[in-house]
Amino acid sequence: MTSRAAPAAVRNRTKSPYQMLKMHKGARLFTGAFILAITLGGCASLVPQTMALRDAWPAGVPPRIELADVPFFPQTEFQCGPAALATTLAHAGLSLTPEQLVEQVYLPARQGSLQADMLAAPRRYGVVSYPIAGRIDDLLREVAAGNPVLVLQDNGVALFSNWHYAVVAGFDYPAGELLLRSGETRRHAVPFTVFEYTWKKSAYWAMVTLPPDRIPATATESAYLSAVVAMARVGDAKAVATAYTTLLKRWPDNITASIALANTHYERGELPDAEALLRKAAARHPDSALVLNNLAQTLSDQGRNTEALKLVEHALRADSPFAAAVRETRETILSRLASGK
Amino acid sequence: MKLTLKNLLCQVLVIATMMLPFQSGQAAMIGTDQANTVASAQADRVALTSLLNRAETISQFQSMGLDATLASARVAAMSDTEVQSLVGKINALPAGADSGLALLILVVFFIWFFAFRR
Repeated sequence: MTSRAAPAAVRNRTKSPYQMLKMHKGARLFTGAFILAITLGGCASLVPQTMALRDAWPAGVPPRIELADVPFFPQTEFQCGPAALATTLAHAGLSLTPEQLVEQVYLPARQGSLQADMLAAPRRYGVVSYPIAGRIDDLLREVAAGNPVLVLQDNGVALFSNWHYAVVAGFDYPAGELLLRSGETRRHAVPFTVFEYTWKKSAYWAMVTLPPDRIPATATESAYLSAVVAMARVGDAKAVATAYTTLLKRWPDNITASIALANTHYERGELPDAEALLRKAAARHPDSALVLNNLAQTLSDQGRNTEALKLVEHALRADSPFAAAVRETRETILSRLASGK
Repeated sequence: MKLTLKNLLCQVLVIATMMLPFQSGQAAMIGTDQANTVASAQADRVALTSLLNRAETISQFQSMGLDATLASARVAAMSDTEVQSLVGKINALPAGADSGLALLILVVFFIWFFAFRR
């Protein structure tokens, strides 16, 4: 009203208060829309996997599940690593407490636990620790298959990191929540968005710990093989043999697992078992110098040197990086033949 | 500096002797680790690197408050890749501890975020 009453001269020189208000309003609207766009766009890129879930829920995964039998160990100061690990290990069938794990995973100078230690410790108990792919789909599939998933989150803001291990023990998608065993809370319900935001900063790091007779729901052949080979470094012989047997049941063509399992039998002096496995492997991989060499050695140790010689000569024909070892085996067999046994 | 080098050498030798019985007892059977590597020359190099990395990680663990036995037992249970991921970076890598004060800020920060939970 005042603006209309203003003299023309004034109106021409400067903008009227009304006009200024209009411009200001436009600018405000523009800024508001801009911020909203950035925020919404930013949100989608803040939690891309949660956004993708809206369009494509992983097939075969129920919308809600809660693994009530996952135990809970409330953490003491800085000890979320041992507490989280004890949770998944106890679910895998071990009876232990977080206190027992402290000296295996906790690093005093860092007042926390490193991922490498979290992966390594279960192996000492003959449990296979498997780092799952960093996808929420895979996490949901593991939980749906009954495997609690240990995750690394960063609960800090901006530059302040606050690394924390928790265990996902269920989810309720219609309610938009993941159910965590976390810190001192037995059933910590976290929105999918918040969870992804904190999980993303660890590059979506997550692992499952399973007894050697079970394969994770999302396991791939090569990754599971690596997990078992790593466990074989320190796990007890029985668990190692079980893990390789489990792997071969799912992926019978796996040559490394066949050789490894045969080697565990060989080491224990169970030569016929080793032979049977290597024969099966040789049928699938008839030109593998590795398989032939080890089969020849196993046969020779059982006194069947003529048969062994034939195999090792075949192995020599194959071009392989193990030529030196094969030649050595051949010499052993020849000298055994010469000495008449 | 000299002492560190000596320390490292000691660690390498200790681990090397630990590995010795496995290798000599299994001269004729080709082992699992070998089965996984491509060429034997490369395998030797990989084995040496692994040995050095392990020794270094053990001494780093020791300098961070673990005693020697605990440190070597931990490193023994790690794969070569895992050890490699630790070498020289133990201080920088995330160490999960607890969800303390920052969580409070987070809650405030995320109140608007709760509007759409999924």
